[in-house]
Amino acid sequence: MEFSLLSLILFFPCFTAVFLLFVPSNLVKILGLSASCFNFLLSLILWIRFDNSTAHFQFFESFSWLPSANIEFGIGVDGITIYFVVLTTFLVPACLLVGWTSIQHSVREYYVAFLILESLMLAVFVTLDLLLFYVFFESVLIPMFFIIGIWGSRERKIRAAFQFFLYTLLGSVLMLLAILLIYFQAGTTDYQILLTTNFSEKRQLLLWLAFFSSFAVKVPMIPVHIWLPEAHVEAPTAGSVILAGILLKLGTYGFLRFSIPMFPHATLFFTPLIYTMSVIAIIYASLTTLRQVDLKKIIAYSSVAHMNYVTLGIFSLNLQGIEGSILLMLSHGLVSSALFLCVGCLYERTHTRLIRYYGGCVQTMPIFSMLFLFFTLGNISLPGTSSFVGEFLILSGVFQTNPFAGCLAASGMIFGTAYSMWLYNRLAFTNAKYHLFTAYSDLNRREIALFLPFVFGVLWMGLFPEVFLEGMHVSVSHLIQHGNF
Amino acid sequence: MKELFLNDFKLAIPELFLISISIFLLVYGVVYSTSNLKGYPILSNNISRLALITLCFSIILVMNHPIKEAVFFSLILDDFSSFLKVLILICSFTSILISLDYLKEEKLNSFEPIILILISTVSMLLMVSSYDFISMYLGIELQSLCFYVLAACKRDSEFSTEAGIKYFLLGAFSSGLLLFGCSLIYGFTGLIHFEELAKVFSGIEHTNAIKLGILFLAVGFLFKLTAVPFHMWAPDVYEGAPNSITAFFLITPKIAILGLFVRLFLYSFYDFLFSWQVILLISSIASMILACFAAMAQKKIKRLLVYSAIGHVGYMLLAFSCGNLEGIQALFIYLVIYFIMTINMFASILSLRHVKYIADLHQLVRTNPLLSITMGVNLFSIAGIPPLAGFCSKFYLFFAAISSSLYLGALIGVLTSVVSCFYYIRLIKIIYFESPKTWIHYSTIDKEKSLILAITSFFILFFFCYPSPLFIFTHKIALTFII
Repeated sequence: MEFSLLSLILFFPCFTAVFLLFVPSNLVKILGLSASCFNFLLSLILWIRFDNSTAHFQFFESFSWLPSANIEFGIGVDGITIYFVVLTTFLVPACLLVGWTSIQHSVREYYVAFLILESLMLAVFVTLDLLLFYVFFESVLIPMFFIIGIWGSRERKIRAAFQFFLYTLLGSVLMLLAILLIYFQAGTTDYQILLTTNFSEKRQLLLWLAFFSSFAVKVPMIPVHIWLPEAHVEAPTAGSVILAGILLKLGTYGFLRFSIPMFPHATLFFTPLIYTMSVIAIIYASLTTLRQVDLKKIIAYSSVAHMNYVTLGIFSLNLQGIEGSILLMLSHGLVSSALFLCVGCLYERTHTRLIRYYGGCVQTMPIFSMLFLFFTLGNISLPGTSSFVGEFLILSGVFQTNPFAGCLAASGMIFGTAYSMWLYNRLAFTNAKYHLFTAYSDLNRREIALFLPFVFGVLWMGLFPEVFLEGMHVSVSHLIQHGNF
Repeated sequence: MKELFLNDFKLAIPELFLISISIFLLVYGVVYSTSNLKGYPILSNNISRLALITLCFSIILVMNHPIKEAVFFSLILDDFSSFLKVLILICSFTSILISLDYLKEEKLNSFEPIILILISTVSMLLMVSSYDFISMYLGIELQSLCFYVLAACKRDSEFSTEAGIKYFLLGAFSSGLLLFGCSLIYGFTGLIHFEELAKVFSGIEHTNAIKLGILFLAVGFLFKLTAVPFHMWAPDVYEGAPNSITAFFLITPKIAILGLFVRLFLYSFYDFLFSWQVILLISSIASMILACFAAMAQKKIKRLLVYSAIGHVGYMLLAFSCGNLEGIQALFIYLVIYFIMTINMFASILSLRHVKYIADLHQLVRTNPLLSITMGVNLFSIAGIPPLAGFCSKFYLFFAAISSSLYLGALIGVLTSVVSCFYYIRLIKIIYFESPKTWIHYSTIDKEKSLILAITSFFILFFFCYPSPLFIFTHKIALTFII
């Protein structure tokens, strides 16, 4: 059997993780990091070899999983998933590198957990089977639970880990029932076949809601977002990076891949619901951000706001909106992760995240302040950064379908600027707090090396978005055509 | 199916072998343990090992049985019963294997419990192949009598004797219900043979008396299966019995009784499906709900596991109450995976002999990292988190429930599985995250238990990669009822 590139990318981290269990402990860091970097290179090759001109799943491969029940583990990428694969493999080396010195105990387990997590996350994106999608969607909970619980910072982490686990699980078991109902009707859970299946309108509504309950928790939509700030605050830096970078994308990716093409009738029926919830979330999360005192919570709430932009864009159901939301997902994966890395760097030095203890960073940590400003500007979607292209496309998409929602959503940009700039002011300007003076030291080489790829990514995506957009045109228009929107 | 002659004992070769060896072992034990010449040796370990070999041979005998399908008066041999027999024998084998060390350390110096385990195994083999009311009842009674003694075998422990008495009273009561159900049906039909009952009941107008008989039978079985609302004896009995015996109690009788239950209800009483489906469904939903809330309040590990077992019985009954091919298949997939997870759990618990309260597990990850990883994986699996084995069993179960339109049962099943996650991951939290108040020193694990732990953990971890053999095999078993 020919071992194709995609399955190599998929299984390589997992095998490395098993291998790491048996190597001497002084080699673990080097080997883990180089394996994840190698995987990133492989995914870049995958991206280069990707063919823009077709909506078919490329690098398709299928493994027999449960032939008696007609379930195959098919993997493949199209114009939407290819970027998430690249983003995942891009973020994992950063996660391993950020814990280079700050992770003191259970180092081997840390690397193993992240590499297994990488395999599972990649599997979520590339699998073409609904049941296996669910399996991997859920299974990321186990490594994440341990990452928050073991390497998290405070005693409250246990509560956060519990909340994270139970919220997500409660949401997604309903999806399991929906998948089983689909399986019962269609006799298969193969995604490509399910696209051709017609569900009755009443059943579509039910199934859509069941999927929604799972994806809305992951996104997170507003009534079920409580787990996110908790989990973010208590997670270690790398945990937050993965959480913001990839796990939040799972929900929106699920909407895009499953809810919209499979249940077009229900999608149209529930679009007002999504609009309302997203707009409320954008405004509410932005306002909540203003009154937070914890650095990580501020960024976590701003993630909530951004992810709801994404849902708004997805459900605008036109080319600009959906492409914009994919681009915003990618850009949020870079910007928000980089902001969490920034906070991680600060926390490593001072061991506090309360904003009142900070001030005057620009005097003691000039390089850091510059980078932090750059990513803050990225977060408020300044033209020239990646988020701008995404948000611009989303808003232009939304204005075409529902100008009122577009107006309300656009107000989120103002709030976004408000909280981001205020945060930066409090952190970087004002007088330096003397009692923490000794703890401050500027970024070292490892950390600068950590941030540079993010800077590069943000600028590249902001200045030449066409590179990213041209890959998704065909797949996204195929998606829209499929639903007859 | 083949009819056998009166003097044809080929059908019962494994049972005959097992019973004669247990008599031999009994004589051997009695003679040598009271031998002045040998200095009154303690034979528990010796006899356990002999029993293990015996069980191994019996497994081989069952698997290579000369006759594949036959009916011999009140006994039947088919794929279904052979599968269950192998499962029961493996259960007994592993329960003895993981308790070897325990017997030595706890100074349970009597060899009789091992003999009783063997005899009850024989009775369970008879139960799964019994084909009329008499052999069914006799099988159940022989098994129960052995179990009453086993529960009380730790004579100097108050808990154990109390457990024995409770088990005896409730067990005798439930057997009475069962017997009354049998006699009602016999009284109104004049038949005791399962096949004849199936023929008589097909397509006739159902009288209420027969329904009453079925109700009594169902209640008796639910008592034996510790399903809610007939579960009240289970936590006390299973907690009081010695650890190694509890492991045996929690799994093996369930297999035998469920096997019998399924055969009787899905074969003989299939035409009453809509009468008994409701009973099972109510009991199953009640078990799932009660177990997930009651287990949350537990402080002792064994009680927690018992409540979790009650919950699992609820899931199995949900599969059973589907009454179709998928349901039976789901039931047996669940049963096999549940067996493996429980064995793994009890091997871990038996490795930590001094642990009684959940709080004693604090920071096991520091003192015993490998064992704590095993327990963590197993707990996630019991909670049904993908991609572990426990998930595979649950997803097929819910699929079966949906395919026979038991939407409410499936919905409550998934919701309770989320709630029950709470107490499973509470254990994981205690093992991994919390800092200990007192550090407990754990003894090293002996070879037998480590072997069992390793095999079962690998199964739990990697079952997901290649599940089709079990699915195909259980499908074949389930087909027994259709033809």
